[in-house]
Amino acid sequence: MDSKIIRALEEILGKQSVLSAREDLMMYEYDGSIEVARPDVVVFPRTTQDVVRIVQLANRHQVPITGRGAGTGLSGGALARQGGILTVFSRMNKILEIDIENQRAVVQPGVVNLDITRAVEHAGFYFAPDPSSQKSCTIGGNVAENAGGPHTLLYGITTNHVLGLEVVMPSGEVLRVGGKTLDTPGYDLTGLLVGSEGTLAIVTEVTVKLTRLPEATKTLLAIYETVDDATETVAEITARAITPAACEFMDGWTLRVVEAWVHAGFPLDSAAVLLIEVDGLREAIEAQAAEILDVCKLHRAREVRVAKDSKERELLWKGRKNAFGAVGRLSPSYYVQDGVIPRTKLPATLREIDVIGKKYGFEIGNIFHAGDGNLHPIILFDPRDRGQYERAVAAAGEIMAHCIAVGGSITGEHGVGFEKSELMPLMFTEADLDAMRGVRHAFNPAGLLNPGKIFPFGKGCGEVRVQPFPITPATPL
Amino acid sequence: MSPATSISLSRLREISGAAHVVEDPAQLTAFEIDGLRPTAAVAPASVDELAEIIRFAASEQLALVPCGGRTKLAMGMPPARFDIAVSSARLNRVLAFDPGDLTLGVEAGISIAALNAQLAEKGQFLPLRVAFEDSATIGGIIATNSSSPLRHAFGGPRDYVLGMEFVTGEGFPTKSGGRVVKSVAGYDIHKLLIGSLGTLGVITRVNFKTFPLPPAQRTFVASFAAPEPVLAFCRALAQSVLQPWLVEVVDPAAAAVLSSDAYRLPAGKWCVVTAACGKPSIVERHARDLPGFAERAQAAEFVALSDAQKSSLLGRVREFPRHARDASPAATLVRFSVLPTQIPALLSRMRQIAEQNQLPLAMLVRASGFIFAALMPPEKNADTLRRLTAAAQEFFRAADDSSARAMIEWCPSELKRELSVWGPPRDDLALMRSLKNEFDPRGILSPGRFHGGL
Repeated sequence: MDSKIIRALEEILGKQSVLSAREDLMMYEYDGSIEVARPDVVVFPRTTQDVVRIVQLANRHQVPITGRGAGTGLSGGALARQGGILTVFSRMNKILEIDIENQRAVVQPGVVNLDITRAVEHAGFYFAPDPSSQKSCTIGGNVAENAGGPHTLLYGITTNHVLGLEVVMPSGEVLRVGGKTLDTPGYDLTGLLVGSEGTLAIVTEVTVKLTRLPEATKTLLAIYETVDDATETVAEITARAITPAACEFMDGWTLRVVEAWVHAGFPLDSAAVLLIEVDGLREAIEAQAAEILDVCKLHRAREVRVAKDSKERELLWKGRKNAFGAVGRLSPSYYVQDGVIPRTKLPATLREIDVIGKKYGFEIGNIFHAGDGNLHPIILFDPRDRGQYERAVAAAGEIMAHCIAVGGSITGEHGVGFEKSELMPLMFTEADLDAMRGVRHAFNPAGLLNPGKIFPFGKGCGEVRVQPFPITPATPL
Repeated sequence: MSPATSISLSRLREISGAAHVVEDPAQLTAFEIDGLRPTAAVAPASVDELAEIIRFAASEQLALVPCGGRTKLAMGMPPARFDIAVSSARLNRVLAFDPGDLTLGVEAGISIAALNAQLAEKGQFLPLRVAFEDSATIGGIIATNSSSPLRHAFGGPRDYVLGMEFVTGEGFPTKSGGRVVKSVAGYDIHKLLIGSLGTLGVITRVNFKTFPLPPAQRTFVASFAAPEPVLAFCRALAQSVLQPWLVEVVDPAAAAVLSSDAYRLPAGKWCVVTAACGKPSIVERHARDLPGFAERAQAAEFVALSDAQKSSLLGRVREFPRHARDASPAATLVRFSVLPTQIPALLSRMRQIAEQNQLPLAMLVRASGFIFAALMPPEKNADTLRRLTAAAQEFFRAADDSSARAMIEWCPSELKRELSVWGPPRDDLALMRSLKNEFDPRGILSPGRFHGGL
């Protein structure tokens, strides 16, 4: 990159808000996926006006610009695929307004997801979307990827909780869309921008809905001797139209890995467990838990444990939410997918994944949002072995093709990013993609905003997590 | 008939068959929008036929307006041009219903009543209890973003529409979103189509999440002498752990509109209608706790309704726009999106505006943040139209001053010559225009009907 651009950025933001040394840039070439892309310069705006000036400069020099929050994303969304300016929002991390009476909060994009809840729980409210990374991921990233989480089963994903945005357009214009009120007349630009993966505009302020904390919560751990019994339980819970707040599946392999790290008391000899949570009015959760217990028993659950207290509940969730981290201790790299299938197809799909794993010689771990049918098969492999890498990609491709064949989706919550852009044609026709390109053109005609994401190039690549230098944490988190 | 017109008609007959093309002017009055009559109406039997009609229209620069049950054609501005009404009457099938997955895919022309009847057989429903329920279609409900009292508990269509298929203004069958309950692949273009009044594409399929019908329900009415305690009651409820499915506030004038022989709301009172649904124990809990909320807010009365009373009242609440429209020859219904804390001040200002303009006003408030205000002059003449225009303009100003957004859902055509039913343009209009140009570059889809002349 032209050093003039870096100097201009330093003039706009101050030297302490611009990184351009190679060793600094290396810190920003990763996210939670394995893709690697080094930006030419990293900047830390403090205000919307800072962002405007950065965008104007990028425009003048026709340099790509990519937004980034905490870098916890799982699809390469926050990587500067084509270099250029990486705009990191860690200094735009203020909660600007909390309006308990109207159940709204207005926050900057760098605010950490869980911090919104921490700021409002004293008044009996919380921010419902809860990605597993919620202790570190930021609301700007959540908005870009339309993030999910275990409790989206009942409460919906990010888009259901975002009502308005302030954005900086690729032209440098500042625009407000939506607002604090519901169903603003006009096209729902907020609904379009959430999940647009930073390719349409840069979000500088987010208006979110707050949710009343439930009166009571009950967490169940159902333990099974076979995977089929567990998946059939999920299918039947759904078919009986019981909607728990969360319904998570972990197979025996995954929970042994997790247990070795988190010590949550997961049974080491079981084939699968379901972590099911119900919340709401006291009367409602008692009735729901009783029904769920019936279904679990009908499908031969060996045992159903109920968390005694909030400490035990938190431990179970810690196991679930840190599972990917635990898996990372085992293998140089892993490949995690995000396909979605109809819940009625869960038992057959898990069997299919097992067959595919055997065919390619991998043990595939399964830990996922079962209640939503949102799978996260994990394939462990060593990327330094080219043959293994290729087999992992092929196995993953077959799993994804199966998801689409049964009417599902290539991504339920991680986003397309650049890992799944080549899979988009599995789901969408050229006309569908052209309509999306039309949308991008309306916002981002020069294509400078987060280029190389969502849309296929025609080059094959997968959602592969590679860690060339595996690091085993010395102590559990 | 001009030669161009006769070519158009013969092409439409070729595509969909003469039996499905309406050319008779008398019959075409049923498709009129604000007095504008199309040259033809056509009912394609498939997405391919529809796409061909749109491609033909695009090549000939003919303006199309999609329509379903034709219950809401009076919404929006009059089309700048109107050549062909495209009816979804023959695109009315359930394409996929997986009760075990609680997902559904339907064609746009199916009526909500027929659909909910089918879903009920499997113990499920869509929370779209909207006005004109007997004939409104899914396509029209989505294109106008019709509001349902159940929005309180379920959100709006943007919260439970999973994906859509539609044909663009260039005649390309297109889709976005998915059919499963969770998908973040690609842009959520379907969210743009919700409430877009047929200006971006013609909706052909909508995929929904469905919901289980509650095993028990009960409806309650609390009545109050004045608006302030009513709204205090609603605020206390919103801050509580209770989870009613609907909370509707009715002013004394609306109470008269909503009363029937089967159930009369207390005369001269402000009322709150709430319903609790779910397992019997949940309904019982609400029945136990709600009277306390009413008492603390100094309610004059709190009653639980019988099934017959409930059906009558909730049916009329759902059909409020229709009853308001039928109650006056110049009914003007304004919808406000407003923050709950702003509701009291806005209500009182609206009452002042109505009074100053000597117009009867009835208001229905959805406590989660909507006001439906019906101005109902007993006559339609130059004088009442002038007063309606003045009041509507002041409503828009009042909305602005309260950080609310207003739009006129229904009004006499004459008013649309004086003002835009969408209110003053906003900052994001230029962006909306660019989007419109991408989807409909020739401007043939419902031209001029939307916000800012789109």
